[in-house]
Amino acid sequence: MIDDLGIKDAFASITGQALLQALLVVLIASLIIMVIQKVFPRVAEKLGGKPRLYLLASVPLLRLLIILSTIVIVVPILVEPSFENMVAIFGALALALGFAFKDYANSLIAGIVTLYEMPYRPGDWIEVDGQYGQVRAIGTRAAEIVTPDDTVVVIPHNKLWNSLIANGNNGTDNLMCVADFHLEANHDVGRVRELLRDVAFTSPRTKTWLPVLVIVFNKPWGMHYRLKAYPFDPKEQFQFISELTARGSAELARQGVKFVSVPVAAN
Amino acid sequence: MKDKTSENMDDPCLPGGLVPLEQWVLPQTSVRRSLKDAIRHALEQLRVGVSQAEEPFESMDELPELSAAQKRRLAPEPDYADQAAAIACGLEDARKDGSLTREVVCLVAPPFSGIQQALACFSEPGQSGSVESGGEEWRIVLPPDALSFDDQEACEWWDRQDLSRPWVIPELADFWLRCLSGLALVKELFRRIANGDTGRGIVGCSSWCWRYWGQYLENAQMSPWTPAPMDAERLGVWFARLASDNGKRVVTARMTSDGEYVLPLAKPDDTEKRKYSTFLRDLAAMARGNPGVALAIWQRSLRARPDDDAKLEEADEKPKKQSGAADCWVVPLARLSLPAMPQSKESVTGFVLHGLLLHNGLDMDSLETVTGVSVYELSLVLSRLKRADLVACDQSNKRWSVTPIGYPTVRRHLQSWGFPLDQF
Repeated sequence: MIDDLGIKDAFASITGQALLQALLVVLIASLIIMVIQKVFPRVAEKLGGKPRLYLLASVPLLRLLIILSTIVIVVPILVEPSFENMVAIFGALALALGFAFKDYANSLIAGIVTLYEMPYRPGDWIEVDGQYGQVRAIGTRAAEIVTPDDTVVVIPHNKLWNSLIANGNNGTDNLMCVADFHLEANHDVGRVRELLRDVAFTSPRTKTWLPVLVIVFNKPWGMHYRLKAYPFDPKEQFQFISELTARGSAELARQGVKFVSVPVAAN
Repeated sequence: MKDKTSENMDDPCLPGGLVPLEQWVLPQTSVRRSLKDAIRHALEQLRVGVSQAEEPFESMDELPELSAAQKRRLAPEPDYADQAAAIACGLEDARKDGSLTREVVCLVAPPFSGIQQALACFSEPGQSGSVESGGEEWRIVLPPDALSFDDQEACEWWDRQDLSRPWVIPELADFWLRCLSGLALVKELFRRIANGDTGRGIVGCSSWCWRYWGQYLENAQMSPWTPAPMDAERLGVWFARLASDNGKRVVTARMTSDGEYVLPLAKPDDTEKRKYSTFLRDLAAMARGNPGVALAIWQRSLRARPDDDAKLEEADEKPKKQSGAADCWVVPLARLSLPAMPQSKESVTGFVLHGLLLHNGLDMDSLETVTGVSVYELSLVLSRLKRADLVACDQSNKRWSVTPIGYPTVRRHLQSWGFPLDQF
């Protein structure tokens, strides 16, 4: 079968020197990729806002470019780049991958799709199958996210085909946060809405040029308020929500507005 | 009373005069303008030869910065009373030509523009440096000692202020704190202005504070005015005026690198052909048209020999007589060491700097209130920023504020961290 595909002919011209050269190219490419993967996130950590996101997002793209360049350089070193040889090599490769690494290939292809569709980028805050966290790295086969509890979750790219992926900031540094307040009924709703809006506007973490909204729902157990605002940095989201909740609760208590005293789930 | 009837736009105390906020544009050089300037500059270079005598005869880069006396003489702080008179005149002109129809005008300017100090000169008649306009006496409204008010208390406080006769608030940022009980005074003031419950007034406001309140009160339309941005030409006029000691002196400033002229500015009727530097254009862009920042960088870029003090005094005695040698030398912007932001992964630095700009300076306790950062941590951050020349503490009132020379660095830092910025 190998003869039929012309693989034998394609590899007949490979010499020891060519192998060494190819190995050297692969080694250099791997080193460059490693350096990029180590250095870029470190530099990005020192930057704030958009430059950090752009730098992080460039890592997988650069890696793909280096891999493609390596293939383009290595293949002519090893085999004569004729049409027949190329068909033979890539045909055999596709066959092997198709049978042996079906899921792996699936993830690889999905990985390439993520690079141009960009459902998530490094630095994005995403939720996939109930796991929420910040995308730390996008590999060839899978993406890594770090949860707020500092746990790394590896998500294969093939989740892209059949899972819902929620992206909180979608490549920007705008991430809406929501602080919930469950209050007893019979209070001045207008006053509470105004007060909660002031709570967001007086937080040093708020992006005041983006909307600050206070939504209220009438529930059987009382009133449910949702204070929505954007922190200046998505990384600050948990401190931001905590601060809004703490300051809002303190001020509501000072105003004599009471919180519901039974668990919401019990209703 | 200081009366100014001449065209306000040409007033060297306030070059460009006052303009509506929406007409303010950032001084910058477009690609077209840069190319045009570069070609013109190159042509001038080819046309005009520099004689040996005009070249810097020695390297000026190692010259020391100006002494206090030299600074007072060559790049002094502006006279705010003159600026106040120019503002009064500008507002009067705007009222006359119908472009300003509101009873209360808001003057918004970036920090260090000098508007607050100028408006503070709109004091009671008889006091030195006071300004009257149209025969009216202006009353300065001072902020209360404590800024925590509820809505009712704020209403009562404003009731006690006489806003029926002309009044001035030099800096609105002094009337609020970014905390739940610190908003009431400004909210009530804007309510009264919007309802037309006050007499003629002027509200001075730092651009950072204005931006915040513009976002908080999104439906308030105050149509603010602002000083025109300082472009290269206006900066040249202003610097020349500051150094001229009321026209007694003509200061010559040349670049240390190549001897090109910065001051005096080129005049159309000049017979003597000189090579001019693009320093002022670059300075205007770097300072974003902010006169206070430009002046601080200008002061730092000037160099003079230690023995020039005597020469300058001699020049003072011989007014209007311009010697061939330069009075001072100017270091290129690229070689200036401006304050750099200390590296930090924490956002506390941003909270502190943003809080200081928002309130036009704060004492330690108020800073703790608006940032939520403990006094202990604040003292660590502030001392670090002070060492970097980015903030300074006024020992008289213990208020911390951003330095003019550090302002461009601070603004860039806040921008990169995603904090809300002003529009200047």
